[in-house]
Amino acid sequence: MTISRIALIFLLSFSTVAVAAQPFVYREFDLFEQYEPYVSGDLKLSGSYEYWKDPANLDYRIAGNPDENWKLNWKFMDPPFNQAVHGGHFALDRGEDLFGQLNIKGRFATCLGVKGGGKSTSKLAGLRAGYPRWRDDLKRVAGLEEVIEHCANKQGRVLQSGSYDNSAVSIYLASFSNGMPIAIDVARAGPMKESFERGRKLFHLKAGAFNFACSSCHSHNIGRRLRGNIITTPYGDAAHYPVYKTQYMLQSLHLRFVECNLDTRTQSLLPGSRPYTDLEVFMTALSNGYPVTVPAERDW
Amino acid sequence: MRLGSFFILSIFLAAPAWSVDPPSDASVRGGKTMEPKIIVNSGRLEWVPHKRELGAWPTLSYQDRRATPEPQRAAMTAPTNGDAARGKSLAWTWCIACHTLPGDEWPGTVGSPMWHYKQYNHADALVYQQIFDPRVFNPHTVMPAYGTFGLLADQDIRDLVAYLQSIE
Ligand code: HEC
Ligand code: HEC
Repeated sequence: MTISRIALIFLLSFSTVAVAAQPFVYREFDLFEQYEPYVSGDLKLSGSYEYWKDPANLDYRIAGNPDENWKLNWKFMDPPFNQAVHGGHFALDRGEDLFGQLNIKGRFATCLGVKGGGKSTSKLAGLRAGYPRWRDDLKRVAGLEEVIEHCANKQGRVLQSGSYDNSAVSIYLASFSNGMPIAIDVARAGPMKESFERGRKLFHLKAGAFNFACSSCHSHNIGRRLRGNIITTPYGDAAHYPVYKTQYMLQSLHLRFVECNLDTRTQSLLPGSRPYTDLEVFMTALSNGYPVTVPAERDW
Repeated sequence: MRLGSFFILSIFLAAPAWSVDPPSDASVRGGKTMEPKIIVNSGRLEWVPHKRELGAWPTLSYQDRRATPEPQRAAMTAPTNGDAARGKSLAWTWCIACHTLPGDEWPGTVGSPMWHYKQYNHADALVYQQIFDPRVFNPHTVMPAYGTFGLLADQDIRDLVAYLQSIE
């Protein structure tokens, strides 16, 4: 029967504890796509990359056409195309204040992974473009928001991943990488590659009341309509996070996963959880080579 | 088309949200599905109850060892006995995101269009199965299995069948 082909075992290599014999658990996966850990890989998925690859030169005509503008992957809501002052700019200011308070002695920067640490902000350039990364102190791969939480914690400050203040600091740090291409290495054998592979599987794992995988929409229905929403490619998405959402407030990438989960009637996970970090690594690798662009805005 | 044995849904509909302990990384408090609320100028997220309880279905957590409900055949007993008017309102709630229905200004294009559905002349039992669990026809479908997953009851599906079959 055809059904048995998709009755794949949810491999135990996923779990942190290796248990010898686990009972078979029936889970379903959406059809796997091939992905390249580089933004131009979209040419083989949706082809829309042609239209948004150069953020400084988007086509105004496409942006103004509600039936076509999805082809720009909503990049027309990013600077430099979008010159509007929005909530993301206020978050940037807040992030600057908080960073100043946390980094009085330069230790916050050291903890974030800035070589030599220190108070000068000039060394912050490129930091965002190299996250998520392996952290020796945490003994795992971690995204920037998780590390901000961790490093603030060491100074007795609570900056939970996904909170306004955490995302504000994240946007502020990202602003020093504006225009710099995302560059994480998921090709070399090691924890980053393993995380990417887990993320790729998760992206295709069906879950929730509607039995959707992320790929059900983001790989296999790109350009189609879910009522008023048109689904876009997963390539290039990680480059503008955290993002200011006109209907939602400041949103970290993990909170976007929460939203997509809840919208599709799937019990969501906590920001900073392992599966979300693996999805973050997967999606960030699909933005490799695309410039960091903050503060950006999104409508939905 | 011959359809297999009839399945009863009541187990699913009556099941408590969490039949096992929720994974520790799920946004659940006191057994309830929570959603994050962002507080301006605060380092903490606030968690408030979500409008729906989603604990009955598998999550993306690595700790979640629950299985996905397997594809199920459902033989619809004749007569269809559906209320097309009620079916229409169900369709506008459950189907319209993906399918284009007559009168819709925001047509969904993920599923097939439903203009003039009657013209296909599909057997009622076939349409019933498609809504109950479309994986029986297409294991890779994106359409939800409304019967198997306990989202719609037998009469709801009958009403939907009656509505679709009435679209001239
Ligand atoms: C039923 C459809 C559906 C499913 C399933 C779904 N999403 Fe989405 N998602 C959307 C829509 C619609 C949007 C808004 C338009 C867009 O950018 O594609 C969106 C937006 C996003 C964005 C923001 C893109 C941006 O430009 O800022 C991310 C990131 C994302 N989804 C990730 C995921 C992940 C990860 C999953 C699985 C856990 C998932 N989605 C599951 C429909 C879905
Ligand atoms: C997430 C998207 C989605 C939703 C929601 C959805 N469908 Fe579908 N539906 C599809 C797709 C895609 C197909 C095409 C066949 C396939 O891929 O299995 C389909 C096919 C069908 C068909 C068979 C097509 C034909 O021409 O006979 C029927 C009947 C149907 N859907 C009814 C419904 C009803 C009734 C609902 C709501 C209770 C619904 N669908 C909700 C995506 C969806």
